[in-house]
Amino acid sequence: MASRARGWLAIAAIVAAGLVLALLLQERYHHRVLTLVFLWAAMGLAWNIISGYAGQISFGHQVFFGIGAYVTVLLVVKTGLTPWLGMLVAIAVAVLAAILIGVPTFRLAGIYFGLATLAYPLIFRIVMDWLGYQEVAIPMIRDRPGWFMQFSEPRAFDLLALGVLAATLVLSRAIETSRLGYRLRAVKENEQAAEAMGVDAFRAKMAAYVLSAAPAAVVGAVYIHAILFIVTPDAVFGLLVISQTLVVSLVGGIGTLWGPLIGAAVMVPVSEVLDSTLGDRLPGIQGVVYGAALMLIMLYAPEGLYWRVHEVLRARGARGAGATEPIVAPATAPAVVSTPSGTVLLEVRDVWKAFIGLQALSEVSFDVREHEILGVIGPNGAGKTTLFNILNGFLIPDRGSVRFRGAEVTGLRPSALCRRGVGRTFQVVRTFPRLSVLENVMVGAFVGERTVSRARTVALGALAQVGLTQRADALPGGLTTLELRLMELARCLATAPQLALLDEPLAGLSTDGVDVMIGMIRRVRDGGVTVVIIEHTMQALLRLADRLVVLDQGRRLAEGAPGDVTRNPAVIEAYLGKRWLARMAAPTC
Amino acid sequence: MVVAELIQYVATGLLVGGVYALMSIGLALIFGVMRVVNFAQGDFMMLGMYLTFFYAMAGVDPLLGALLTIPPFFALGWVVHRGLLARVTGGGDPQRQMDAQLILTLGLSLVITNAATMILTPTPRGIRTAYATQAFALGPILLNQARSYAFAMALVLAAGVYVFLTRTDVGRALRASADDPEAASYQGIDVRAMHGLAFGVGIALVAAAGGLLATYYPIEPSVAGNFIVLMFVAVVLGGLGSIPGAFVGGLVIGLVQSLTLLVLPFQLQNTGVFIVFLLVLYLRPQGLFGRRARTV
Amino acid sequence: MSLRIRTLTVTLAMMLAAAVIVPPVPAADDVKIALVAPLSGRWARQGQLKKMGADMAIEEINAQGGIKALGGAKLVLREADAGDSVEKAVSAAQRVLTREKISAGIGSWLSSFTLGVTEVAERLQVPWLTLSYADSITERGFKYTFQTSPVSSLQAEQALELVTDLAKKNNRPIKKAAIVGDNTAATVFFFKPLREKLLAAKGIELVVDEVWTPPLADATAIVQKLRAAQPDIVFYGATNFPDSIQVLQKVKEFSVKSPIQGVGAWLVTPEYVKTLGKEMLDSIQTVVATHPMKGQEEFVKKFMQRTGEPFMTQDPLCTYGHVWLIKEAIEQAKSADPKAIRDALAKIDLTSGPAATSFYPNRIKFDERGRRVGATPLIVQWQGGEPFTVVPTAVATRPVAWHK
Repeated sequence: MASRARGWLAIAAIVAAGLVLALLLQERYHHRVLTLVFLWAAMGLAWNIISGYAGQISFGHQVFFGIGAYVTVLLVVKTGLTPWLGMLVAIAVAVLAAILIGVPTFRLAGIYFGLATLAYPLIFRIVMDWLGYQEVAIPMIRDRPGWFMQFSEPRAFDLLALGVLAATLVLSRAIETSRLGYRLRAVKENEQAAEAMGVDAFRAKMAAYVLSAAPAAVVGAVYIHAILFIVTPDAVFGLLVISQTLVVSLVGGIGTLWGPLIGAAVMVPVSEVLDSTLGDRLPGIQGVVYGAALMLIMLYAPEGLYWRVHEVLRARGARGAGATEPIVAPATAPAVVSTPSGTVLLEVRDVWKAFIGLQALSEVSFDVREHEILGVIGPNGAGKTTLFNILNGFLIPDRGSVRFRGAEVTGLRPSALCRRGVGRTFQVVRTFPRLSVLENVMVGAFVGERTVSRARTVALGALAQVGLTQRADALPGGLTTLELRLMELARCLATAPQLALLDEPLAGLSTDGVDVMIGMIRRVRDGGVTVVIIEHTMQALLRLADRLVVLDQGRRLAEGAPGDVTRNPAVIEAYLGKRWLARMAAPTC
Repeated sequence: MVVAELIQYVATGLLVGGVYALMSIGLALIFGVMRVVNFAQGDFMMLGMYLTFFYAMAGVDPLLGALLTIPPFFALGWVVHRGLLARVTGGGDPQRQMDAQLILTLGLSLVITNAATMILTPTPRGIRTAYATQAFALGPILLNQARSYAFAMALVLAAGVYVFLTRTDVGRALRASADDPEAASYQGIDVRAMHGLAFGVGIALVAAAGGLLATYYPIEPSVAGNFIVLMFVAVVLGGLGSIPGAFVGGLVIGLVQSLTLLVLPFQLQNTGVFIVFLLVLYLRPQGLFGRRARTV
Repeated sequence: MSLRIRTLTVTLAMMLAAAVIVPPVPAADDVKIALVAPLSGRWARQGQLKKMGADMAIEEINAQGGIKALGGAKLVLREADAGDSVEKAVSAAQRVLTREKISAGIGSWLSSFTLGVTEVAERLQVPWLTLSYADSITERGFKYTFQTSPVSSLQAEQALELVTDLAKKNNRPIKKAAIVGDNTAATVFFFKPLREKLLAAKGIELVVDEVWTPPLADATAIVQKLRAAQPDIVFYGATNFPDSIQVLQKVKEFSVKSPIQGVGAWLVTPEYVKTLGKEMLDSIQTVVATHPMKGQEEFVKKFMQRTGEPFMTQDPLCTYGHVWLIKEAIEQAKSADPKAIRDALAKIDLTSGPAATSFYPNRIKFDERGRRVGATPLIVQWQGGEPFTVVPTAVATRPVAWHK
């Protein structure tokens, strides 16, 4: 809790500092620079919500800035509506635009998304020129100027801009500390894993996009009234706006609310100082120096000034030992131990799946019974992981159906399946690398919990279940293979699944690790979760599984009790081999 | 719409697109191999235009001058990579590298444009060639001679790059470095040198494109602004990292620009380009020739 | 940090430090005039031309003994770089107007810059002179903005008169007209009344109407239409140099014979000669706010010697006139106070002197909106690689050579 309060205190401190500056500065021009710092910091923060928190770098965020500018000014010019209310209209338009842009464009990823977003403001720029709005000047209202955001006192603009900045800071912080914030970070770190943990990536991105559009529109509206006084398509929809936004955010540091603050506080005054000292004397040199400064900063601090300082400080001081809050481990052992019932939990019927040149699965059918541990085995390339990807929602079968608890679930996306109760771990552990172990597990917990504190409790419980409580604050990079697998298991458990699909959870473990893991899986089933597990090591599966399904070359070869399956000649032929049988006959230690 | 008129529109669009195509190949190569979004690409083109102008002042025809920009700009690209870009690539989080490169190339663009304005002065220059105002007549269709020569040269250069990439060992090493830098280094390929090579070639190509452009387009320090967005659109349209894709992307842009005039008011000419761009990405998210699917 | 980076950083820091060293402060009673114009970036050329005119005027005035009403106070120019964006232009204006006591200002060439800059000047109550044509500049009810050029819509009307007259005199009456240009503000303001009423009022048919958003990708489609329609005159507004070059080259390529009537002074810069050659330019005309007129030959020669420019055009001439106008206003106000100068400008009525002779007709008087009363444009024509004033004939420096 202390760190959370610290975040809000920091914001209050920044706002207070801004107020002090606004009061102290004397020259009108200095006030303009201060206003610019506030506005560009706010714009950077808005951009950061979608590009930093959600990891979807956008090169077209100025579309909302421009909408904010044009809507408010056109409303003033055409209807006489005060920009204070006009801003609200602008926000509504920007939100609508965000939805219209996001729906098709989020189908793209990475740099494709970024460059596609660039098209929208450029289209607006051309259309505005065409509509005849090349230069829309704000009419000067001489009576009641304040009602139209036209202040003669420059401090008024400082305060207005500071207000916008404060609101955006609060919004950013609120997102950071909310369920959405965790989900966005998960999507950014590993979108597929996030989906498997119940995060609807599209919804999360859309939420972030909409939340980033609104403040951008407000910044645009205030910018016109405080800085530009006229609107031209190039000034608000053009590349200069996004360049400035990128500079402020990337120089400061992406993914943190301190980044745009630092970036704006450094780069805006530098630019203005260059303009006013060198620029008026030797025009053009200020661009050279500014560009050189940008390059130098990037060479010295490629991740941004904030992260560089963070790194330097962290290297100096040792990581704080232990968590700041006491970790309460809830009771672990379940009162009732579940045993396999006869009820069918998952029905797989006639599933076919082909890729180009490969028939991965043919006519695969089997049942998963409640509370059992079902093992799926087969040689490499048999289609086991493909099967899991279908059960989990990452792939859609060409033919066939999957029914979970009696309902048809074929074709649902992974996050939807997770929310229905299908959990998953991966063959190669997919962590959220920059989230701590606890935070990794919390992402799963958010399937059932709305608030951060409750998710934290559930996550701690899951970690306690797997015995990883003391590693809660570590980063995944510092974990052993066993710890990683346990963490992934805990994360899966935190989603409160009824069915857990475990893809080779024993791979890469030592004998001791295998023992730990097997014990853990048994406890998971005892706690009421049905487990389907892909494994290679037959001996482990024999210890663990109630029933087995054997796949070979995409076909189901056998299904049944381990004893029966292992004696099945087809299975021996295809997979086990006669020597294995001989070895099994002779007892080993 | 008379058929001849329609063919004229198509021909005009293709000729314009040919030079866009050459501009874009350099960008595609740089992105494909290094994952660098080079904001300064247009500014190197501008420098190439100026060099061609100075060659022309010395009596060298700009078509030849364009070719002669290749060696010095290759060297320039190599140096810029070694001195600047190599410091923020190679190691670490690939997403982070992308961010740093954006600002690095943005800063570089500012330095080049402003330095050029100060040193070369903002006065526009032009190369006067006879063929800039003459046309080949193919029946009723008129093909501007300067643009036709530029188009032909662009094709030749692009073909050369393609052959280089697919038939030579160095070219294959380049492509390996693009596909999987780790595996390439295990094969003994010096990935850093490949990056330098890619950047050098990418810069040389856009400089040559500038030289060809200079046969009919005036030269000023801010000329990059007229083309940089189109270059990016062409590269993404074609499929990031695909050289033939970028070439086709450039042609498509030229074509769309021209054909848009048949359906939309002149003022909306470039919206046609952006709309087609978005449509292609929605229907085929990896771009026309892109290899990996880019949807989620 | 590596040694290289450290060295670069130190160099940068030293440059910054050197820049911040304060320049020598001018004498306390010098009168300061601000010039906010693009001095870097894509429009730097235009800004520099303005500065040339301003510098020349200031030198002359100071050489003549400065401002007599203020005991021979000298004029000093404070320039601020408007750069290449409205934000920078407005910042420049704010900067220069709040750092020192500025008596009056001039600028900023691009109408969007001028609109933004005059907003600042109006709020800070400093009189501002501009050569921008756009109607919108003086339609805001401002008291401190003064526009010496005839506004675009008026230019359209007057230019059409002049041109139809000229055509008739040369036995080439205008029946069909074309409008070809970009959608920048001044051009739009010119084309609008033309398209909407003026041409129709004279019974002229509009046969081609092509307006583009700069930059222009290719001029083929436009010029093809011109070739097909064969208008008797083409009203031409390609303010962006590369766009204009492309159109004119195509015009030659397609052998379009229609006379070209430009709209603005962007068509008469020396770069056109170097890029297109004298022959291609011959007989192309354009409407401008002002241009060297009959009787100004000595003056023009002096300008050419000072600056090395091959000829003098609207921008330096306007700025020259503006500086002299401010000087006259200060003499009449007997004060360097901006409000007093504004009042003087509002009442001024000059018919002689370097200010008045810089414009046509040679009279400077402003109406209540800040527009120059009776302002009429000139028509300038390229002949032999140089632009000459041809219309009205009273002030022409060469007779017009109607397009063959």
